[in-house]
Amino acid sequence: MLFFQFGLAMDKDSIATNPFAKYHLQLEAFDFCDACGCSASGGSMGFASMLNSNFVGIRYFNQSYKSNDGLYTNSPWYNQDFNTMQIWARIPVVKKVQVSTFIPYHFHSRAIENGNQKIQGLGDITVLGMYQVFETKKDSTFFNHSFQIGTGIKMPTGKFNEANAGTVNPSFQVGTGSWDYLFATEYVIKRKQLGLNAMLNYVVKTENDKQYRFGNQFNYAGTFFYLYETSKYAIVPQLGLAGEVYGTNYQYKQKVRNTEGDILFGKLGFEIGRDQFSFGANAMLPINQNLTGGNVRANYRWSVNLNYSL
Amino acid sequence: MKFQLKNIAAVVAISLSFASCSNDDDVNSNTLGEGNLKLEFDQIYNGADFAFNTAYTNSNGEVVKVDVAKYIVSNIVLTKMDGSVYTVPKSESYFIIDEETEATHLINLPNIPAADYTKVSFGIGVDKEQFDLGATGQTSFLQTAQDAGMMWSWSAGYKFVALEGKFTSSTVTTEAQFKVHTGQTGNDYNYNTITLDLPDNALVRTTITPQIHIMADLSKIIDGTNVINLSDGATIMGGEKLPLITANLSNMFEVHHVHND
Repeated sequence: MLFFQFGLAMDKDSIATNPFAKYHLQLEAFDFCDACGCSASGGSMGFASMLNSNFVGIRYFNQSYKSNDGLYTNSPWYNQDFNTMQIWARIPVVKKVQVSTFIPYHFHSRAIENGNQKIQGLGDITVLGMYQVFETKKDSTFFNHSFQIGTGIKMPTGKFNEANAGTVNPSFQVGTGSWDYLFATEYVIKRKQLGLNAMLNYVVKTENDKQYRFGNQFNYAGTFFYLYETSKYAIVPQLGLAGEVYGTNYQYKQKVRNTEGDILFGKLGFEIGRDQFSFGANAMLPINQNLTGGNVRANYRWSVNLNYSL
Repeated sequence: MKFQLKNIAAVVAISLSFASCSNDDDVNSNTLGEGNLKLEFDQIYNGADFAFNTAYTNSNGEVVKVDVAKYIVSNIVLTKMDGSVYTVPKSESYFIIDEETEATHLINLPNIPAADYTKVSFGIGVDKEQFDLGATGQTSFLQTAQDAGMMWSWSAGYKFVALEGKFTSSTVTTEAQFKVHTGQTGNDYNYNTITLDLPDNALVRTTITPQIHIMADLSKIIDGTNVINLSDGATIMGGEKLPLITANLSNMFEVHHVHND
């Protein structure tokens, strides 16, 4: 069950400081959920001023789950707390192509029968390239559109714990132990201050060296945003839906029962920017979910981030 | 733009080349040698995690609190995906599961040929063929059974299942003892064989020890296909009810899952 949203939120979370241009909002949202608590749901929505803007930022996200071993009618529910601190950066390499990097550090804990189990460590590093296929150039058009496609790779820099894979939540990990491949699209439509960001992405998981393969994962999100500007600040409230669909995990090429699932979240957030800095926060609450045969339930997710425009 | 597309293509190509470097040491096709297999017997009561001296209400309204729960598991046979079977040597295939002693819940079977197994079968009790070998033919299991209180006497034979505790009902309002002991009677030997399909194949390898998690629902002994009213007689060690209880054992076990770690 790969039900952890990968917070590869590829946001250009920075505000324009270019004195020659009006704020030019460009939203990008990528939520790459991953099997291993590895990631975050992203705030997914960021905003940035200029094309080709670069940023480096830090983000904290928390995911709260509860799980049940599913063995007995009176099995207790135990809480699981996933925490991630992530450094991210987005750098334009050539015109219309930007490369983003996500370096997560995870510190997760879960209650077990006799106390607590903790895991922590470097997570799986992701590198993602996005290509701008289309973008409306002028403000004069009634709608502004932008469409991007991209691909990326997630490297097994986080340690995969085989013993945890056999527990009720196989995703209690800091890494999948596998090389995984991301394919992403993003579409943004704007009319004056109001916009909608729609994104889809698919993560192909491969078998790791313990012959465990997390299920492939499909993520989608739609987020409305509104740009409110003052002379010093830009404020962008956001409201939307985000969903994740997980395929079955495999061990030794045999299906691991009750590892597929899906979840739909409602999300609410904002970004606020001033000068080189922007701050964002968002929260996600599940609307509907069916994870690991009902033995794992998401309670909520939230995140905060601080970005610096280079 | 061509240049950029080339870059993207290069990233994808590099990525795929990493993928193809993944582990080729495939255990699936490697079924040489022998490994271990574990059977876990997890006691439940009508679906709930079983606990001693806890009140459980049966379908007939009787409330039971169990304080002894033991049974003999024997003659384990494993069926491979191709339909062939591996029979655990008879001399190493008698076990007592005693809820009170956690170490007995897990049976480790060594020297199992590497294969994908799809079924497990075992007997409850000691089979007649073994019993007919006489006291001297019983090896050390006889002593083990005596120590565990799972023998009446040599002539009366083994107790296959022992379930004891206290109960109340609408007619028995103060707690009274109940004892259910199965085994041979004058007319019936009462040994039965349980065959369980595995919901996940057990992949025995030199490097993989599968663990088959079996749920043993103790409620089914007296509250199964045949509902036994303890109020009508709370000491059952023979008589017409014993075959009914023996029949109930057929639906007492279920494989919940198989770990292949």
